Amino acid sequence: MNRRRAGKTPEMQISERELRAMTRELDDLHSSTFPQVRETLDELAGTLVEVVRRPSSRRTFFLGAAGALTLGAAAACGGGNAAGGYATSGGNAAGTGVYTGDLKVVALAAALENLAVTAYNGALHMAGAGQLGYVPPAVAEFVTVAVRQHADHAEAWNAVLSKAGKPVITGAPLTITADQVAKLNAATSVPAVAQVALDLEDAAAETYTFATANVTDIGGIMTAATIQPVEAMHAAILSFVLGKYPVPATFIGVNNAVKPDMLTA
Amino acid sequence: MHNKIDEGRFRELIVESGDLQSDAMRDAKAGLADYVEAAREAQIGRERSGWAPAAVVGGAVGAAMLANVAPAFAQGNQGNEIKILQTAAGLENLAVNTYKKALTLPFIGGSSANGVVKAFATMTMAQHAEHSQAFNAAATKLGGPPQNGVPAKYAQVVMAALPGITGPDDVVGLALTLENVAAETYVKDVSMVSTPELRQLFASVAGVEAQHVAVLLAVQALLGADLADQIKLPPDAEKLPAAAGKVGFPNAFYKTDMAAGAEDGAVK
Repeated sequence: MNRRRAGKTPEMQISERELRAMTRELDDLHSSTFPQVRETLDELAGTLVEVVRRPSSRRTFFLGAAGALTLGAAAACGGGNAAGGYATSGGNAAGTGVYTGDLKVVALAAALENLAVTAYNGALHMAGAGQLGYVPPAVAEFVTVAVRQHADHAEAWNAVLSKAGKPVITGAPLTITADQVAKLNAATSVPAVAQVALDLEDAAAETYTFATANVTDIGGIMTAATIQPVEAMHAAILSFVLGKYPVPATFIGVNNAVKPDMLTA
Repeated sequence: MHNKIDEGRFRELIVESGDLQSDAMRDAKAGLADYVEAAREAQIGRERSGWAPAAVVGGAVGAAMLANVAPAFAQGNQGNEIKILQTAAGLENLAVNTYKKALTLPFIGGSSANGVVKAFATMTMAQHAEHSQAFNAAATKLGGPPQNGVPAKYAQVVMAALPGITGPDDVVGLALTLENVAAETYVKDVSMVSTPELRQLFASVAGVEAQHVAVLLAVQALLGADLADQIKLPPDAEKLPAAAGKVGFPNAFYKTDMAAGAEDGAVK
């Protein structure tokens, strides 16, 4: 195992260059992956547009009913509404019924990604205002890249909504938003903000795990499956920074997933 | 480098995470039981009605990225799902064997090892063993034999790498390859299987393998930057280069181009 050399400044400059080179390669990988995902999302949007426009047939009715039953059951298990169904709770006047079936999960995902973007941008703002004390460069870089990835996710899900003729989700219309924002505003240190972020990332990973089982369209399933590990990786690094074991569970659960009935749009 | 304080804290955290694991394992076992029941019911339903979701789902998608997985998803082929589960179990067995071998090396499991790396290798090996048990339990309940071996294609990769291992960075590189193959395989498998319960099982394991990847990427970067002393919980964040903050999650969407095929680890 190598030991650190004496002479901090030169060493850090070299390390920075080496790591920059590594991450430049990783950025290239990201750029090459995103078009493939967009293609899948385009297909998903096309499928959902067809489902929205097509009169109910036996098959589409079966799929829709199966999805609603599954989601209803899951919502009931997770403390959903009394009817155990799929209806929104606490939604705005224009929102109820706008998103149904798979599109409701798509809207939920967009809202959750927007919440993450809001939280991370809020953290950057607080750091800039000196409210968090000293912010190590590595932490700032984590936030910068994580917020970009969450924005990519939100953009992807919103593209599906847009192509399906539904309004895009621009904010974070979720029942958990106010509580999460309050926690962020109460944070006065980097570890406190990191803990808020960790909770959000864990919830996101569990939400996408839930989505893989409760979305009926294969494009939606695949998209959720490709995003879920990324949120889990964010969580692992945050845990590492916080001094927690970075892979605490052998299986990602769903008990803390944000369920469709938590969408208020 | 051996840090007793870090290792002690690490062991405490492992105990805490063990509690989480127990809960998750209980959920996973319940999920498996649901899956088997659902798969059998789906099979009976298809046989009775002749109905298959292929016409709706498969016909509507057809994206290039999904071209190779849509048929299996659409057919809901139970035999194919057994092969998928066996291949997954085989990948897990290979990971277990590799970490087990790594822990015999002095710089991973011996006196010169970093305590955190040693504990991570030990814990990760145990997690892979539980994944293997879960996949094999599902394969068995569906009527297939368990996969107690390893996929030859990937075992050859390990065998080829072993003679060249001279330090922890070599082990980390090999582990990264195996973890990435596993994670990508399960991401793809989510769309290859026919029931919600099994999709959730594969997703729940994919996320964990991805977390292994994130940790290994971070460790690899620290080793490469001569910052091995920062492989501890927590690291001294102020001593890390800025770029260390993002090496653990290179893509916004997880790739699948290294995913194993369903047949790669199936019992012959």
